[in-house]
Amino acid sequence: MPNLRFPKITLWRVLVTLIFATGLYATYARFLQGFAASTNLSDAVPWGLWVGLGTLCGVGLSAGGFAVAAAAYILGFERYRPVVRAAVLISFLGYLTVVVGMLYELGLPWRVWHPIFMWNRHSVLFEVAWCVMLYTTVLTLEFSPALLEKLPWKRAREWYLRWHHAILIELVLIGVVLSSLHQSFLGGLYLITEGKLYPLWYSPYIPSLFYLSAIPAGLAVTIMALYLSARSLNARFDISILGEISRLMAPLLAVYALFRGVDLVTLGVLPYMFRWRSETGLFWLEIALFVLVPLALLSSEQVRNNPQWLYWTCALVVMGFIANRLNVSVTGLQASAGVHYVPKWTEMASTIAILAAAVLAFRYAVLYLNIFPQPKERWMMKAATD
Amino acid sequence: MKTKAILVDITQCVGCRSCEQACKEAHGLPPENEPVLSATALTVVEQRGDKFVRRMCMHCQDPACASACPVGALKKTAAGPVTYDAGKCMGCRYCMLACPFQVPRYEWTKLAPYVKKCDMCAGRLANGGLPACVQACPTGASLFGDRDDLLAEAEKRILENPAYVRHIYGSEEVGGTSVFFLSDVPFEKLGFVAAPINRSLPTLTANALADVPTVVLLGSSLLFGLYWITDRRKQVALDEAKEKFSPSHTDEKRS
Repeated sequence: MPNLRFPKITLWRVLVTLIFATGLYATYARFLQGFAASTNLSDAVPWGLWVGLGTLCGVGLSAGGFAVAAAAYILGFERYRPVVRAAVLISFLGYLTVVVGMLYELGLPWRVWHPIFMWNRHSVLFEVAWCVMLYTTVLTLEFSPALLEKLPWKRAREWYLRWHHAILIELVLIGVVLSSLHQSFLGGLYLITEGKLYPLWYSPYIPSLFYLSAIPAGLAVTIMALYLSARSLNARFDISILGEISRLMAPLLAVYALFRGVDLVTLGVLPYMFRWRSETGLFWLEIALFVLVPLALLSSEQVRNNPQWLYWTCALVVMGFIANRLNVSVTGLQASAGVHYVPKWTEMASTIAILAAAVLAFRYAVLYLNIFPQPKERWMMKAATD
Repeated sequence: MKTKAILVDITQCVGCRSCEQACKEAHGLPPENEPVLSATALTVVEQRGDKFVRRMCMHCQDPACASACPVGALKKTAAGPVTYDAGKCMGCRYCMLACPFQVPRYEWTKLAPYVKKCDMCAGRLANGGLPACVQACPTGASLFGDRDDLLAEAEKRILENPAYVRHIYGSEEVGGTSVFFLSDVPFEKLGFVAAPINRSLPTLTANALADVPTVVLLGSSLLFGLYWITDRRKQVALDEAKEKFSPSHTDEKRS
């Protein structure tokens, strides 16, 4: 067991136990005591941390899977191949956290299937629900070989892998289209809040902004997970791939920054960027973490070639992304709601527990499945070291 | 049937709260008076200075809540009311985020919570009755009738009496509503949403949603084109390699 090599594992175990114990209590509070006991949501703040962090960030930060798969299979970035499976796994687990989180968030979670039969084509949320359902299915299929190749029955296994290979490109293609749709529609949810959402965040182009920010953020998560896999889980792959991915991330962040800047200027909200209000501070925090500092860091060759530096740069990108989504979903709506919302600890605890479960699942998948190229598979090693 | 509406003339409201009581009775809610809208108070009379302002669902002509609801639980009916089908609702609360007037309430304390809002007594209307609040109003501050007639009546009152603010609140707001207010004090001072958008909010999302087929079609064609180029390049590279070297490394080729 690799665990035994780390003396600090006991500390981690205490932490993990604590996370799951509080998460369990939060789950009890949510489902057996209700919203009033488990959240600080109110009529003025109907959507809080569960939507802002669990759904908006959960989906956005899981964009790496479709981006890396598209790069490898559709754009022909062969060097990405060795990490496609890991990237897809991260997205798959990410979407599972979103689906589980949705059960906490919905008032009547046992009706989560309603959008399948009860349609409202005018609703952005309806489209999001369908895309998330379909894309989670696509991710399950994309990831399925990693599980099914462990089947003991040779013929069934080979039949499935052949079938999977035959539809893979179509799957990736559908995945890219579905992801593009719902990544932007998550922003589209806020189109209808014109007049309520603070001007620094309301934009008729908010769907595009959500889309453009999700891809670099998803890549950042992928880089972080790859780095940790190589460092702590003995995953064998060419670590220089991290720098490679970051080379893609930097221009994507720049494009987002440009789009955001032009949008703010054309909407005429520049004065809001300098008003003495809490929104202003949080806006600059978001911009600094997501755009300014990472772009400065990524422009340095030294950072791009040093996995540890790269890891922390990506951590900034992820934090900046979270700041942006929370600004849109929480901060930006405070003024019009007239209520100051601070999430209850149980909202936090349940979200963290779900996330921790996904991290643990990732860890065990890397340890027990062939997520990264195995030494025996020479063709993959060849691709990794080309 | 012509679409119905409610006209509230704030100058005639004496704050007796009969409407609140009638509403609670009609909807089977606990009779205690409440200061603001809640899951158990679908209309309340708020005091602002020496004025009394009744709050309730505005029953928009093109309601943001109905366009937002993913399962179509909220509907604008031809008769005027915006109704809520509790059997469809899954509790996502997007309607509450979408509503420009912050009207829908949620049963936060219940384990099976539903959205609560005024339904203009749609059931009573269907049987030819009046909304309970209007029927209970002793001063005629709340009127019920055909939307066009009420708008004409409101205009007439404004023209005949210069004391009124020269605006019918609800005639333009978010593209028009089915609840109108007349006042002799500026509406901002009475707690009305200061400057709601004067066009229907659902059009904001409709435009984005209308792009979906184009995005899907263009996007997938583009992606397929890119894939085709990538694949073609790979084939060419493979063929070249095959010519140069022995043909033993070609097992990667896709059928």
